[in-house]
Amino acid sequence: MSFVTALALAAALLVAVPYAAHRLRRRRAEDQPFPPARLVATTPQQARKPSRLEDRALLVSRAVAVLALALLGATPLVRCSRLSVQRSGGASVALALVVDDSMSMRVGVEGDKGPARFERALQGAQQLLASAQDGDAIAIVLAGAPARIALAPTTDIGAVRQALEGLAPSDRATDLDGAIALARGVVAALPQVDRRIVVLSDLADGHADGPPLDDSASARGGAPEAASVWVALPELQRDGTDCALLRADRRGVRVRIAVACGPGKSAAGRDVVVEDAAGKALGRSTLSHAGAVEATVLLPSEAAAPVRARLTGTDAIAADDVAPVVTEARRGAIAIVADPSGETVATGGAPIVEQALASLRPDVDLRPIPAPPDRADDFAEYLGVLLDDPPGFTPEQRHALAAFLDRGGVALVALGPRAAAAPLGATLDPILSQAVAWTALGGATRVGIDVASAVGSLAGSAQSLIDLDAERRAALGTDDARALDALVRWSDGAPFVARRAIGRGEAWVVTLPFTVDASDLPLRPAFLALLDAWLQDAKQRAAPRRTDVGTPWRFAGARDVRVVGPAGDVPLVRDEGVARVTAPLIGRYEITADDQHETRVAAPSERELDLRPRRYAAAGAGAGMSDARSSVDVSGDMALVLLGLMALEMGLRVWSRRRGEPEPLAMARSGEA
Amino acid sequence: MSLLTQDLWSELTPLRIRARQVAHGVYAGAHRSALRGAGIEFGGYREYVPGDDLRWLDRRSLMRHQHLLVRQFETETDRTLSLVVDASASMGYRGPDAPASKMAFTSLLAAALARVALRVGDPVSLTFLGGSEAQPVGRSSGREQFERIVGALDAVHPGGDAAVDRAMVERAVAWLDRSVRRGSIVVVLSDLIDLPEDAADRLTGLVSSGRVLVVVQTLSPAEADFPFSGPVRLRSLEGGAVVETDAEGARDRYLAALAAHTATWHAAVVARGARFVQCRTSDPPLRVLRDIVRAVR
Repeated sequence: MSFVTALALAAALLVAVPYAAHRLRRRRAEDQPFPPARLVATTPQQARKPSRLEDRALLVSRAVAVLALALLGATPLVRCSRLSVQRSGGASVALALVVDDSMSMRVGVEGDKGPARFERALQGAQQLLASAQDGDAIAIVLAGAPARIALAPTTDIGAVRQALEGLAPSDRATDLDGAIALARGVVAALPQVDRRIVVLSDLADGHADGPPLDDSASARGGAPEAASVWVALPELQRDGTDCALLRADRRGVRVRIAVACGPGKSAAGRDVVVEDAAGKALGRSTLSHAGAVEATVLLPSEAAAPVRARLTGTDAIAADDVAPVVTEARRGAIAIVADPSGETVATGGAPIVEQALASLRPDVDLRPIPAPPDRADDFAEYLGVLLDDPPGFTPEQRHALAAFLDRGGVALVALGPRAAAAPLGATLDPILSQAVAWTALGGATRVGIDVASAVGSLAGSAQSLIDLDAERRAALGTDDARALDALVRWSDGAPFVARRAIGRGEAWVVTLPFTVDASDLPLRPAFLALLDAWLQDAKQRAAPRRTDVGTPWRFAGARDVRVVGPAGDVPLVRDEGVARVTAPLIGRYEITADDQHETRVAAPSERELDLRPRRYAAAGAGAGMSDARSSVDVSGDMALVLLGLMALEMGLRVWSRRRGEPEPLAMARSGEA
Repeated sequence: MSLLTQDLWSELTPLRIRARQVAHGVYAGAHRSALRGAGIEFGGYREYVPGDDLRWLDRRSLMRHQHLLVRQFETETDRTLSLVVDASASMGYRGPDAPASKMAFTSLLAAALARVALRVGDPVSLTFLGGSEAQPVGRSSGREQFERIVGALDAVHPGGDAAVDRAMVERAVAWLDRSVRRGSIVVVLSDLIDLPEDAADRLTGLVSSGRVLVVVQTLSPAEADFPFSGPVRLRSLEGGAVVETDAEGARDRYLAALAAHTATWHAAVVARGARFVQCRTSDPPLRVLRDIVRAVR
């Protein structure tokens, strides 16, 4: 604040002058001669009463006029507390607003009181928007996991404002690193020299003890043109206590409820209550241990219909204190069809592929079976089927496998000598339509794995496939090779690992068997990566009953998908023809995909219960690039106020005269003797 | 006449001219003295009031009709008009919306009355209640007497505190007793404020000597209406009373007290056969003068 501003505002102290004048006038009765004074009665109480209404109104009018004059003198130099963008030389800026829409932003700014952090973040974004000028490019990135772009960079301020108004809080986890990286990528392509990322978040991303958020110096990599990060609204960064119900699964008359709290916090002493649709308590259990606990509530009978579990008491976030009760899902299983009899290397137990899967500690059962089931119902309990060098499929097996794949199953077929020597009448349909050949590698030019061709989840581990020791490989038919989507290729372009969608399911094909007799593939790290990627795909397609909120659900092959969540219909996104839905809120979701109905549950992320703010680098404080204060020109408004006050005073005087009351001037004439 | 012009008129015009002008409106068209009282030629009857001279009680009417009537005679030559003008400090009060102070207004009335009386040859005398540089004017007639009376009225200034100087009224009454003869007309011009408690008895005692007494109470409009507002601190001009009050709250009680005070004077005056006239300094002087003349008749 400049000296002139302070001086102008100091004029507001003159507001005491009308008051003092009023007090003096009121207290000092007019002394005037009046011969019959002895006939006048003294009325002390009324004589000391406050002045009349019109006097008070005039006093207020004059005092406000003084204040308005002081403000008028100080404007447009008056500053108020609000976010704004400082710009050097008036140049336009590229601004990426990282708005955190995670569950922790539901906490109030001042604990239980005041607006939610998310609303304050939106308010801050609006304030920043108000300071935007023509030519500024603004993008909006949401930091709720997974981080995503809500609005691509645009110079249309109206579109930005509209996008901000459309934002809503969610129960997602927080992905600040991803959001900042996304924002950095968004503004990097913009022509503005001045690029900034404003983080409007409570920084509670579950990594309070981790490295500081975006150390700008290292994040820039020394590039001066890289965007700088400003963590605005430090008032949002407060710790709190929050506990949540992670799941509530019913089996018989038992409901097992998992409760978790933030680090160092405890739900001990609070109750978990299981209620029916009418809100009637069916069972209750008191938590007695600190930290993550699992409580069991007994229902009165098998016929009881519990709907939800509720955690009593209060904490920072109420939304995660309720969880829907669902029937406990059976554990999924993976069928493994492998014949170790022909192998020359003894593993001392299960086939090597089975042991490799077990080493991944999958949350599924591994069931070795001698041959693929020949009935569709037998596939019902499997998430996926791993076929190691199958000698073709019988017609019954083909029919059952096709039905399994069509409804979303995943198969992994390793092709080897037995697959190439399938007996008459046995084919690899529906996975491959043509016969395969077991061909030798080598010759003058040695064929290996093209590491650079690896994509997706195998790209990271493809380096371990260099100098793969294999004498032969399975050669696919031309049509099959063309139909498959290769994840890793041989150096001659033939697919090494490939996949294709069949119905709502998917078939993965590897052109080497999983035996050490054929190659050392099972001994390479990429083998585990391959099995893990396939396993995750199988789990994802197997319609998991419960996922963390924000985890996308894909419905490959489904034409008509409808998802109804706690807040109504959830919008559907089609990504390369595959329907994808992301549950934004905690709760139960009813899904209808091509006339097949299922129920899924979105549960809170345990990481989001940690409300401790993450540290951030000093450069993120935003010194020099943004400001929490802004100049506001209210001189026009002040001038109107002054005009109104003058009119008010005139009106009061006219009103006083019409009431027939003498003016103070006229009273003074009575002093003549 | 508007307030402004009345004000200017009272400020700028000499008292003698104004008195003549006012008096002219009274005796214009009259062929004989308009004053009535003890005299020679019969002038009619009127109801007896206590204090009337029993010599003029009409015995025939009393015996015939059991009515107490008093015979009146028109003055022919020697009906003295004695003017008593209150010049105490309270008469200097003017008040808001008044064209002149009470002293100025009563001086105008006194001069006009003197002019009326002198015009028909009646002798006139003048004395004051209090006042600074007050010079009583002895009984006389003729044109010079009017000049003397006007000079005395011009010279006097409001002063004196009747509440302190208890003998103020006594001195005036004693002077009248000495100088005013039987059958004279005594006109007292005063605001009747702050006079001693026995002032009414002393003044009305003049009636018992066969004189006609007219008491004219002159008040300022402010005194009559109490137009103040808000907290006020009022200081009397005599007696040193100071009152701090809220005007709105005290107005009704003041008006009631003033009415009671006036009623007391009215009752005391009328009970002795005298006349009581009220006026304000804002009233037209001619109308007041007519009221006084009408009261004398």
